[in-house]
Amino acid sequence: MTQAVDALDPDRATLDPDQSNRYPPGDLAIWIFILAELAVFAVFFGAYAFTRMDNVALFNEFQLHLDREAALINTLALITSSYFVVRAVSAIKENHAEYCFRWLVAAMGMGGIFLIVKMGEYSHHFEQGINLSTNTFYMFYLSLTVFHFMHVIMGMVILAAVAIKAKKGGYTAQEHTGVETGASYWHMVDLVWLILFPLVYVMR
Amino acid sequence: MSNKPFLGMLPSTWVFGILVVLTFVTFFLGEKGIGGLEVALFVLGIAMIKGHLVGAYFMGLGKLRGLWRWPVSVWLIIPGSLIATAFILSY
Repeated sequence: MTQAVDALDPDRATLDPDQSNRYPPGDLAIWIFILAELAVFAVFFGAYAFTRMDNVALFNEFQLHLDREAALINTLALITSSYFVVRAVSAIKENHAEYCFRWLVAAMGMGGIFLIVKMGEYSHHFEQGINLSTNTFYMFYLSLTVFHFMHVIMGMVILAAVAIKAKKGGYTAQEHTGVETGASYWHMVDLVWLILFPLVYVMR
Repeated sequence: MSNKPFLGMLPSTWVFGILVVLTFVTFFLGEKGIGGLEVALFVLGIAMIKGHLVGAYFMGLGKLRGLWRWPVSVWLIIPGSLIATAFILSY
């Protein structure tokens, strides 16, 4: 929708600053998608918390078996990657496509660290014979984190596509909706983890 | 919400630093293995603050006017309230 508006008025921001401050960065369609994703995660979080009410001892016991140091590394990796994406957006707004590309590659590197650390955690769990049927806690832990893991992969694919286009000079200071769209999705992935980390690994 | 540097650093850089510090606070509370409703709600509160910072400064919603300024804040309240209610009822 914003692209349609931009097509009608490419200089929307300069002509009507009031309007440019009313819509979120990127394509409006990605925001509908983001809100839908956030709604699903909210249901997941609520289900975890209310199921825990009837299984407090079990949740508290098996939560201690999780690797909080790995979760710390992953949280720092996602926060850092989100910051790098912010810098990528700032770079393209100043017409520095090469810097934009480099920040996006750095962000993907951080995303890669997240995936490697998380796969290490899963590998450890699977070696111990842990799966969705082990108990209610692990059912939620694996479902929630794997669902989020898939979103990280999806986010990295989007960032890669945006980075390639940025490298080819496909974005400018005037037209960088694609960069902001990819950035918004990636921040959503970070946002969800910021709730998931304390809920599953820390709160007891 | 200004985007001007403060003490030589961009607001997003300050926010990044704050997010890192709050993450370590959460981690150390987890490492201590401290239970209790107050600690759980404190950790949840930290997560809400972190989420708000990401929405306002990283996603860029803080500088908007009108309806689109609020979706992330409203979203944070929904799971935040559900989680808080469940934890309060479980104690």
